[in-house]
Amino acid sequence: MSGSRKETVLDLAKFVDKGVQVKLTGGRQVTGTLKGYDQLLNLVLDEAVEFLRDPDDPLKTTDQTRRLGLIVCRGTAVMLVSPTDGTDEIANPFIQPDGA
Amino acid sequence: MLPLSLLKTAQGHPMLVELKSGETYNGHLVNCDTWMNIHLREVICTSKDGDRFWRMPDCYIRGILLSIFGSQMSLAKSDIDVLHKVIDKVQEESKTRADRKPPGVGRGRGRGREEGGGARQVKGIGRGGDDAGGRGMGGGRGRGTSSGRTGSSRGGRGRG
Repeated sequence: MSGSRKETVLDLAKFVDKGVQVKLTGGRQVTGTLKGYDQLLNLVLDEAVEFLRDPDDPLKTTDQTRRLGLIVCRGTAVMLVSPTDGTDEIANPFIQPDGA
Repeated sequence: MLPLSLLKTAQGHPMLVELKSGETYNGHLVNCDTWMNIHLREVICTSKDGDRFWRMPDCYIRGILLSIFGSQMSLAKSDIDVLHKVIDKVQEESKTRADRKPPGVGRGRGRGREEGGGARQVKGIGRGGDDAGGRGMGGGRGRGTSSGRTGSSRGGRGRG
């Protein structure tokens, strides 16, 4: 195992200064450049952009965004972290060609 | 057979994870810890309503937010039932763990409770290795219904 510290499964060090996408509890979704983090998963994001949500369904994001600048994401609210690099929306990959 | 050891055994295998928010993540389990935080690789994320999909190379998910784990290989019905039992246990465990002691300390508690079924469950999970090609079938958990193909009559979970 690479991580000596037990609490982090993912080594956020490799995302520093890279774009990350963060989902927070409650449905907020933010992307930005990861500037720092701690073991509680508090994150510092620069040039953060929040994806605004559908007022009718707060769990659904829209394409509208708002710029937040330099922010701290509270670790307790962080639900998911993934790199923006290589993240794309794709067509349904689960459709089976033969209809089986 | 502890839920967490099962999870550990599943490392390297394809798996499906559903969050409390309803989104599902299909990917290969890279690593997990005692909080059930997990690290997935080559992930396909499906939105709650099942009509948007994203591919991401890597993702890290907080254990406390998971609602369901499953291995996404094609499983026989009986295996699925077993899996559900395991899932329930995992959920219980994560709850009790959360309000008891720091994870890790209590490992080993409850061991031997279900020795009998144990071996089988491991097998069920392990099978996925060579079956990884079947990825994509179970994925949508019957959510793909909007497209009319998947999740037909078989009761939904796992595969269409």
